[in-house]
Amino acid sequence: MIRQYFNQAWAQLRQQSLISAVGIAGTALAIFLIMLVVMMQQVKVAPFAPESNRDRFLHVHYMSITNAAWGDGSSNGPMSVTTARECFQTLTTPEAVTIYSSIVVSTPVNLSGQPAMGIDLMQTDDVFWRVFDFSFIAGKPYDKASFDAGLPVAVVTESVAKKLFQRTDVEGREFLLNHAPYKVAGVVKDVSTLATTAYGQVWVPYTSTELTKTTWCNDHMGMMSCTILARDRKDFDAIRSEVERRKQEYNALVGSNGYEFIYRNRPYDQEKNAIAFSANQEPDVEQARRQRLIIFVILLVVPAINLSSMTQSRLRQRVSEIGVRRAFGSTRLELMGQIIAENLVVTLMAGLLGLLLSVAFAYLGNSILFAQEYSQTLNPPAVDADILLHASTFGWALLFCFLLNLLSSGIPAWHASRTSIVNALGGKMH
Amino acid sequence: MTKKLFIQIKNEWRSNLWLALELLLVSVVMWYVVDYLYTRAATYLEPRGFDIEHCYLIELGELTSKSPDYVPDKTQEETHADISELLERLRRRPEVEAVSLSQNSYPYNGSSSTGDVRYDTLRSPEWTIRRMVTPDFVRVFRYQGTRGETPEQLAEMLDRNEFLASDNLYNRRYGVRLTDLVGKPFQLFGDTTRSYKLGAALQVVRYSDFEEARASYCFLFKQSFYYVGLELCVRVREGHDHDFIANLKKDSESQFRIGNLFISEIRSFKDIRRNFQQARTNVVRDYVMGMGFLLLNIFLGLLGTFWFRTQQRRSEIALHKAHGATDRAVFCRLLTEGLLLLAVVTPIALLLDWSLANAELNAWRNGTTLEWDRLLICAAISLLLMATMIVVGIGIPARRAMRIQPAEALHEE
Repeated sequence: MIRQYFNQAWAQLRQQSLISAVGIAGTALAIFLIMLVVMMQQVKVAPFAPESNRDRFLHVHYMSITNAAWGDGSSNGPMSVTTARECFQTLTTPEAVTIYSSIVVSTPVNLSGQPAMGIDLMQTDDVFWRVFDFSFIAGKPYDKASFDAGLPVAVVTESVAKKLFQRTDVEGREFLLNHAPYKVAGVVKDVSTLATTAYGQVWVPYTSTELTKTTWCNDHMGMMSCTILARDRKDFDAIRSEVERRKQEYNALVGSNGYEFIYRNRPYDQEKNAIAFSANQEPDVEQARRQRLIIFVILLVVPAINLSSMTQSRLRQRVSEIGVRRAFGSTRLELMGQIIAENLVVTLMAGLLGLLLSVAFAYLGNSILFAQEYSQTLNPPAVDADILLHASTFGWALLFCFLLNLLSSGIPAWHASRTSIVNALGGKMH
Repeated sequence: MTKKLFIQIKNEWRSNLWLALELLLVSVVMWYVVDYLYTRAATYLEPRGFDIEHCYLIELGELTSKSPDYVPDKTQEETHADISELLERLRRRPEVEAVSLSQNSYPYNGSSSTGDVRYDTLRSPEWTIRRMVTPDFVRVFRYQGTRGETPEQLAEMLDRNEFLASDNLYNRRYGVRLTDLVGKPFQLFGDTTRSYKLGAALQVVRYSDFEEARASYCFLFKQSFYYVGLELCVRVREGHDHDFIANLKKDSESQFRIGNLFISEIRSFKDIRRNFQQARTNVVRDYVMGMGFLLLNIFLGLLGTFWFRTQQRRSEIALHKAHGATDRAVFCRLLTEGLLLLAVVTPIALLLDWSLANAELNAWRNGTTLEWDRLLICAAISLLLMATMIVVGIGIPARRAMRIQPAEALHEE
């Protein structure tokens, strides 16, 4: 039976080469664009190293604060280390909470006496290395003792190591960062800028710089963000309620100076954090989802109408065959199933083509497709198979193929199956 | 001929319904996309009020006690003097035209400070950007006065402690242009004990390429005290951009290490603009891709459908030709069929466009979503684009139909 679908589909393809090409192109184009939209979303939310735990992350990228004296006014932005520690790092429900600098800053590094180059610097605590899974090719991350002591140690990427020392096994070597000597603690594989939270080219303990001294609003706001790693997604609610309790306690404490923290429902999970750009507004996840849904509907319905019209025309040429099948006892349901299944063979072929095209495009056009919003770095968003291809990618592609196929052949098939046998044998569809 | 075509379209209503449905849906979505791109382009093309060509941002760093070169116990005054010296050294470079310091002021800046500009009972809008700058800032970004004041003249005004403000501060609320208030005393920074003289009204300085001039407000006042957190911007003489960053970085160790100061990064404003506006340009990218997708779909749809039609109507076309129709007439007849379908759905599409605009579901500009000229221009553009695709899509099968030999086709029949 299935073999027959293939044979029939193949024969159709050969008989009507141009029309088949048009149909395949239309289907491939639809799947191509749909998969680009899927991938654009996936690079933001699907896990890949070093952010393999994305589904267990809760982020507090920004914080907001107001004061009784400011009226409706508020200050919005990254927070101070004190705030991050008191409100989040002391939580007990999560597995770990890391505090790091809110944005990467292009910073000069060089060897003594040599010209400097700008690298994207990230400042972190030691917990950072437990929350994110970097792959070390030499050395190891800085530990709690080094962090607490504020030692000038650094983790650098492979390419920075190569540019500085022309090799990668450089554990223990010294270089200058902002003209201060730092020792390499470890070397990691390069990180794509798409790993928006973990990305950097050099990581140092934030205790080793003056960063934490940049604060305002009475040391409540500063330059830091934090990420909570839950043991399980199921703990999110428990963590949120612990955060809420901490917030009330802490607000009572800072309230003596008139201050009050506004959380805007933070912490946000990965999906919400990916669209949280302004510190003074809570992002609307539902609206973003609705928008994507509308895009998918347009990307499916427009080609489906197209393809329906072509399927219809093709069936019209086969109407006497349909008559014969019906005369020999094929039921309407069987007939519909047959037409849809035949069509599916073609749709799947075209869908595969579309998927391949979208992956190729994602590789070649990464800097166009995944260009990052509100980012400081000029480095392009590098992609690889780990980032682009997940089991779910294929799942989505398959699902959209089925949907498109049903939409594009359902009505014509239903229509054809309702043709009366006499008419069909006579070559008339209506 | 049109009447006959209509009858034919009616007779094949089933397959034409698919086409019409597609054309209708695409018409509306296309209009939406064109409307979006049109408004963005119109805003983009408004005068910006500043010029970032040949401009660079120099980020300063300060040594910490971790560095062997660190000079301890620097007072704020000493740092101020060090920065002044660094500015002087930059000015002495032959390729540098102007150097300025500022606070949350440079264009395409994610951070901004706001302030209130009061004249009598008139108050500036809530979102009026306060730009604290050294006088040369207006020379770096080439601000212009509404009465033709040059950047140099504006810089002198700032130097005299006069302030500058964009012409439109009181426009929307009071219908007053600031040009008419030049020289009058104003109150700034919420300080009612002092007054500041308005030196000149500025041609509106936009927040970004995607923000309309009508909703961009700012005022400028002189920044007198220097500290490391200020932004250092330079304008390079025309034709000297080449390797400016690399050359300055090369000299930065030997010439620009003053006290605890050093140059930590140099960025061109082109890069800053790109980063700042990426979110906006990404949306434009998505819409352009969507538009391409829709157009390709119309092309494919019409190509496929009309390929079938010319096959089915082989004998009909042959008969036409036998009765004296020229190749051109056959070609035009098929094209007209497609265009007529588009013409039929257009009024319905227009109605839907209008309802979308009326429901404020499309792009905003000039404080509204529904402007008649814009609605019609955008509908016309999308109609034209679709018509082009129809002509190309039908053109291919129609060309084939032209080549039908009446004798052969009728013989087969």
